[in-house]
Amino acid sequence: MKIFTCRDRFEDMMTCIYDAWEQALVYGHEKIRVQREPIYQPSMFDEYIHVSYDMEKVQKVIRSIKSEIGMDAYVHVYYASLSDQEDALQIIYNFLRVGFAVGDAVCRMLGNPHVIRMIELKRKVGNESHHFLEFARFTSMQNEVYICHLEPRSDVIMLVGRHFADRMPSEHWMIIDDNRKTACVHPKDGQMYLRYLTDEEFSTLRKTEDYEDCYTDMWRGFFRAISIRERENIACQRNMFPIWKRKHAVEFTEKP
Amino acid sequence: MESSIIKEYTTAEKLEILADAAKYDVACTSSGVSRSGKKGELGNASAAGICHSFAADGRCISLLKILMTNHCVYDCKYCINRASNDVPRVTFTPEEICTLTVEFYKRNYIEGLFLSSGILKNPTYTMEKMCETLTLLRTKYHFNGYIHVKTIPGAADELLARMGYLADRVSVNLELPTAESLQKLAPNKTFHTILDPMGKVRDTIAAHRTAIGKERLMERSNVNKYLTNSIFSEQTKKLTGDSKRTNLLGDTVKNTNLMTSNRGFELAPRDLGSLKRSFAPAGQSTQMIIGATGESDYTLLQTTQQLYTGFDLKRVFYSAYIPLNEDAALPALGTAPPLLREHRLYQADWLLRFYGFQADELLTEERPNFNELLDPKCEWALRHIELFPLEIMTAEYQMLLRVPGIGPKSAGRIMYARRYGSLDFTSLKKMGVVLKRAHYFITCNGKQMYRTPIEEAYITRQLIGVDYSNNWKVANADKVYEQMSLADFGIA
Repeated sequence: MKIFTCRDRFEDMMTCIYDAWEQALVYGHEKIRVQREPIYQPSMFDEYIHVSYDMEKVQKVIRSIKSEIGMDAYVHVYYASLSDQEDALQIIYNFLRVGFAVGDAVCRMLGNPHVIRMIELKRKVGNESHHFLEFARFTSMQNEVYICHLEPRSDVIMLVGRHFADRMPSEHWMIIDDNRKTACVHPKDGQMYLRYLTDEEFSTLRKTEDYEDCYTDMWRGFFRAISIRERENIACQRNMFPIWKRKHAVEFTEKP
Repeated sequence: MESSIIKEYTTAEKLEILADAAKYDVACTSSGVSRSGKKGELGNASAAGICHSFAADGRCISLLKILMTNHCVYDCKYCINRASNDVPRVTFTPEEICTLTVEFYKRNYIEGLFLSSGILKNPTYTMEKMCETLTLLRTKYHFNGYIHVKTIPGAADELLARMGYLADRVSVNLELPTAESLQKLAPNKTFHTILDPMGKVRDTIAAHRTAIGKERLMERSNVNKYLTNSIFSEQTKKLTGDSKRTNLLGDTVKNTNLMTSNRGFELAPRDLGSLKRSFAPAGQSTQMIIGATGESDYTLLQTTQQLYTGFDLKRVFYSAYIPLNEDAALPALGTAPPLLREHRLYQADWLLRFYGFQADELLTEERPNFNELLDPKCEWALRHIELFPLEIMTAEYQMLLRVPGIGPKSAGRIMYARRYGSLDFTSLKKMGVVLKRAHYFITCNGKQMYRTPIEEAYITRQLIGVDYSNNWKVANADKVYEQMSLADFGIA
């Protein structure tokens, strides 16, 4: 079996699908697999082929998804590409196989196992991005710049950033993914962009989290006061706001 | 001399006191209106609503929920801020509320402001202060986020009109579902003073919506478009008649928007016109206290339905009564709040708004209360066991919605997925159908999931078992249990 691998970025994944598909037309789809790097445990009898990014192929893939399947399917593919699930790329590939066969209707064929996997994946990423736009907390640096640290499982900071670009268009702000070391940067009245941070930039930005002002304290006070003791229900709270998502929510952290 | 007795409170202390006083208000939703942000301003709004945190009681924190003041001239028996209680009393200045809202909002702690208030001096004076705050927030601070404001019954109409153009949602608390209970527990309020502003807000919203070429009544869940006897579909037929309507200028309007929706602000008070805001775009809501007086669930649900159809409310909230004051007319201090009952009422409320049920289908005068062990939808299905089992591949949409375990989302998914091939129980599960409840009531291609009899007694027993531990948890959420250790028996 031929296994095509690529880096964990949207463009690389699209290139990978292009190359894999080309080979599939020769050997058949069953003989081909696609996977994102890093590969932790390569199998013994398969051939691994690394694919690197090629703009022309990316555009071809995106164009054919949009024109032959539909915009809805493209959104699904994009969301799924952000997932951290190991087999996400393979799920996209299988979904596209069904998609190119049936066209526009694919997103509604919930009886098909490949389609339902895709929809589950999209829902998972979508839900996570929604949670983080709720739970993101900005630190104010002298009311000039607002900085937010997140540790999402899926790569959702650009989706989260899109929400804040509409909400705070006239502020400087930045959302940092602490695990991937990327940042969504938004200059005042400008366009936001994605930036891959260098180690030095990252360690400097890391320190911003220790910064607090009186509003952080007032928020903690408000958070305590608003809860009704007679109705206390910690299990429900944990259900709605899981502990792993609380890492950067100031109301759950003690004063440093 | 006096200055040494009166303590000066800091903003942080005031916030704690006034948030603590506002916490019994349940409506903390930021839903009902979508509005995109603007350059130079702060904020937008999303119709689905966004929660920002969850407090230790598991309730969401979406808005900065505060009272403007907890001074109050009224003496409602159930309220912590009643005039006869000895509690620290503070008042926020408009500037303080504005800075708090804007600073919290920029840090993404909150989705907007929920402003309520005790009665300072008299209703009109209080409303005037609240209006002043909101005007400042919308103009000087350029705040474009969500604002929910409680109107004060008995204030001047001009202030109510002004408030509507500043806030997104306007609400007035009904508190108790009958005039007698209100008379007993809130001697300073009457049904009339509460329903009067509610009616005025409804009419102004309707007038505003007609002027901008929308339907007279608020938008409801899409589900209702496909149902024939839901509380909203019938009402739409009755009140809007055919598709032809006339706008304020007397022109006949078809279902297209002749006047574009950004011109409604011309009806606003002159100094607010430049804000280009609609009148209470997220509609109005109310809340009722559960368990302080002896009303049955039937009365509560009937009242709810009337509020939805008659007053076009967006939401009705229920609040399980927590005894705060000692009074002969009230449950004793320490009585546990009826959380499970509140939960059942919310379930029934959803059945009215999203499932096409009517209040009198769920409860009758002979059976005025919900069963605590079963949810209202299961109860209904068990009483109509002759309608089941239902074949998934051919059932109508409105019947699918009535199967326990199938909601609007999964019903919609079934409707379009079955056009592309036959469905089995595995794919139903993947679509989100809750089979542990649904499987007693449905068949896929003529087969049931297991060989279970369609008998009321049998299914009732099974369904009670399914939710027993969850129900127990809701009813006993406040109790904490720990593992036994030797120390409990005095052995160290």
